[in-house]
Amino acid sequence: MPIAEQGYTHWTGHFVDRRLPWWPISRLGIKMAFKRKFFKFAFALSFLPALIFAVGIYISERLEDFQFMFKGRKGSMSFLEVNPLYFKSYFGGDFLLFMMVMMMVLGGAGLIADDLRSNSLQLYFSRPIRKGDYLLGKLATAGFFLLLFTLLPGLLFILLKIIFAGSFKLLTAYPWILPAVVLDSLLVSVFFAAYTLLVSSLSKNRRYAAILIFLIYFFSDIFFSIFYGIFHNPYFCLLSIKADLQQVTAALFRVKPAFEVPWIYSLLVLAGLVLACGVVLVRKTRGVEVIK
Amino acid sequence: MSALARSVRSVFSFYLFIVRRARRTKIFALVSFLPALAALVIRVNAWLSPGAAVDGPAVFSNIILTFNLQFLILVLALFYGTSILAEELEGKTLTYLTTRAVPKAAIILGKYAAYVSFLIVMVAAGVTLAFVILFADRLGDAQAWLVLARSAAVLALGLLTYTAFFTLAGVLLKKSILFGLMFSFGWENIVPYFPGATQRFAIMHYLKSLLPPISTGGEGNFAFLMFKLEPSTPAAAIVTLAVVTAAALGLACWAFARKEYLFEE
Amino acid sequence: MTAVIRADKLSKWYGNVLGLSDVSLEIGPGITGLLGPNGAGKSTFMKLVTGQLKPSLGRVEIFGRPIWNATGLFARIGFCPEQDAFYDELTGGEFVTRLLGLQGFSRTEAMARAEKALRFVELFAEKDRLLRGYSRGMRQRLKIAQTIAHDPEILILDEPLNGLDPLSKRKIIRLIRDLRDAGRTIIVSSHVLPEIEALTRSIVLLHQGKILAQGDIPYIRDLIDKHPHKISVKCADPRALASGLLEQPSVRAIQFGPEAETVVFETQDRDAFFGLLTRLIVENGQDIEEITSPDDNLQAVFDYLVGT
Repeated sequence: MPIAEQGYTHWTGHFVDRRLPWWPISRLGIKMAFKRKFFKFAFALSFLPALIFAVGIYISERLEDFQFMFKGRKGSMSFLEVNPLYFKSYFGGDFLLFMMVMMMVLGGAGLIADDLRSNSLQLYFSRPIRKGDYLLGKLATAGFFLLLFTLLPGLLFILLKIIFAGSFKLLTAYPWILPAVVLDSLLVSVFFAAYTLLVSSLSKNRRYAAILIFLIYFFSDIFFSIFYGIFHNPYFCLLSIKADLQQVTAALFRVKPAFEVPWIYSLLVLAGLVLACGVVLVRKTRGVEVIK
Repeated sequence: MSALARSVRSVFSFYLFIVRRARRTKIFALVSFLPALAALVIRVNAWLSPGAAVDGPAVFSNIILTFNLQFLILVLALFYGTSILAEELEGKTLTYLTTRAVPKAAIILGKYAAYVSFLIVMVAAGVTLAFVILFADRLGDAQAWLVLARSAAVLALGLLTYTAFFTLAGVLLKKSILFGLMFSFGWENIVPYFPGATQRFAIMHYLKSLLPPISTGGEGNFAFLMFKLEPSTPAAAIVTLAVVTAAALGLACWAFARKEYLFEE
Repeated sequence: MTAVIRADKLSKWYGNVLGLSDVSLEIGPGITGLLGPNGAGKSTFMKLVTGQLKPSLGRVEIFGRPIWNATGLFARIGFCPEQDAFYDELTGGEFVTRLLGLQGFSRTEAMARAEKALRFVELFAEKDRLLRGYSRGMRQRLKIAQTIAHDPEILILDEPLNGLDPLSKRKIIRLIRDLRDAGRTIIVSSHVLPEIEALTRSIVLLHQGKILAQGDIPYIRDLIDKHPHKISVKCADPRALASGLLEQPSVRAIQFGPEAETVVFETQDRDAFFGLLTRLIVENGQDIEEITSPDDNLQAVFDYLVGT
């Protein structure tokens, strides 16, 4: 029978979807990031705080061996006490947050921008991939790196403390420390990943996206500093991405936040931003661009 | 007019036309006006709360100028300076320029001139607006306008020098943005606070040396900008900035004329 | 032939990768087709000829002058790049006019020339549309418009027919022929042989950075005489025809085609074979419907030369 007479045949079988369609996208993203020379450098540098804090945990259990370092400085060893404040110092540390921004500048700016530039979205969506799978794949790429600097060190710190102390004292004294580590890691990672994807989706130009990731993060902090410096009103901390992350981190680790503002406000600001990122991303990632 | 100058002028008008059309221009224009918005918030607050007086000159020098000098012009110069070549390579449009009867030096100089003049107008407009808002009660004071003129001139010099420097970085380096971020927010924001001659190795030192004196009622003029500053003389500062700009542009033109560029697939 | 473009032992390396090796050729007015598979060195050659790359070895001259950094020469060259790249903020009209402005034309003259070029490529009606709204064919024609707008003597067109639909291809082929008729020196590259065949009989075959053959198609055919040619004859009694030619030394092989009335001969001496065939047809009164040479096109030439 000539093909023209056959018409379309509809498959009536049951489609069993056991795939993880987002995974190849993430895997490729991770692989591509490591192909960048400077990314590898920043990646290695980002582990510096984790290394320092891990050494701190070791010293905290061998204080008598290291007393010579703190001779005559009364109370100077208190920062080596591995407690929630110690974890908060790591997770809310300026350097760690800065390095996360730099990692996103180097490895995340092109995640969607490159696809927009090379018109790859229609290639993605011509496969059995939904918009959600695509975004999840990209989110997982950024999230992978971010969790490497949050969740992995956090868990490692707990494990090291248990090993060096030879007891579960940390977990019995602060039973919520493990969930706090997991929650805070997820929060910071999801926020930065969504923020990076949002900025990356705004342009076809990776360099422009990189500058914007950097600019928005620091602008928000600078404006907070300006207004806080003038009005001395702690609520201006809500303007700063960094301060919001630090407020929530402090609350999760049950440490007094730096500003006298309910931490839930900061959490709401961050959640609002993630939600806004989601809305924009869904609108921006289209297989077909309609030009008016 | 020489052939080079004519070519520079034609490249200049081509890119001034394009930069005005570009979507990113709107974003950066918005960013440039944020200090003015901050000034407005401060001023409105002062009007609404009679007890909260505003020391306009202090806010202008300590906040608006610090923000513009230590952050905004660096970001703008970094993006636009490195864009001069990078955007042609990324967009694969360099061919349209290098296969025209235009000297390669004119491509760099014309595009630099277009971007820098656009940036100067954008930043100067933002600063002027912030100034008018903060000096609302002293607008008849000629001294205050001199302060604005000198501040704007320092920012313009900063844009000229940094954009030239980042143009060179863009011509020579593939990862010019990363280098630029490290240079701008590492070197340029740290070295000026080093004592002695060390601070003279930063462009920022010479810009700070040219800042106008502002008499404020508050504590210390340019408290943060002037911290640890051992200023060079204005003449030395201007000459140094001019030399750095000319050298960077000269090197960029020289390298661009000799280098071959391939588009990334 | 007056050589407009002259390459002498031209070589180009990208690090360890060979782009072009020891290419010497002269190109005069008319259309010259640059043929070769992807990676053959066509684009490298074009970039060297347009001064975008500097030769690693050898020379390339336009009108007797080396092209690298010879800014003045570019007023006499129009280059249509392969890549689909534009300043998307501009309209089609602005794109051509502003690029003419770069060449130093006054605003009025640039507008007049842009109009002429846009009319030539049949895009004048679309001149006020933003470039990002142009179709592939329109963008390709716009690239040609910017190539010809300043009225250059040499046109270098890198894959101008790439990715176009048949209608757009036909339009561009017609445009290029018109330019040839206007006396321009034109180099056109392609890896699709029928496209070049539709444009010119003068070709340069490139393979792995080297010139494999150069000249018009019959000349190249002579070069490959050592390879057998296939001649297909469609007639009422192919078996009788085949038996008549079976013992002739010029016939290497005989094969009957999928259609019952077709026989395909393989020969190494085309002239001798055609002499015999004509005599046999006349002597036997064979009723011949069609004689074709399935490999008498550029694809066959190319396949033979690259040994595939």
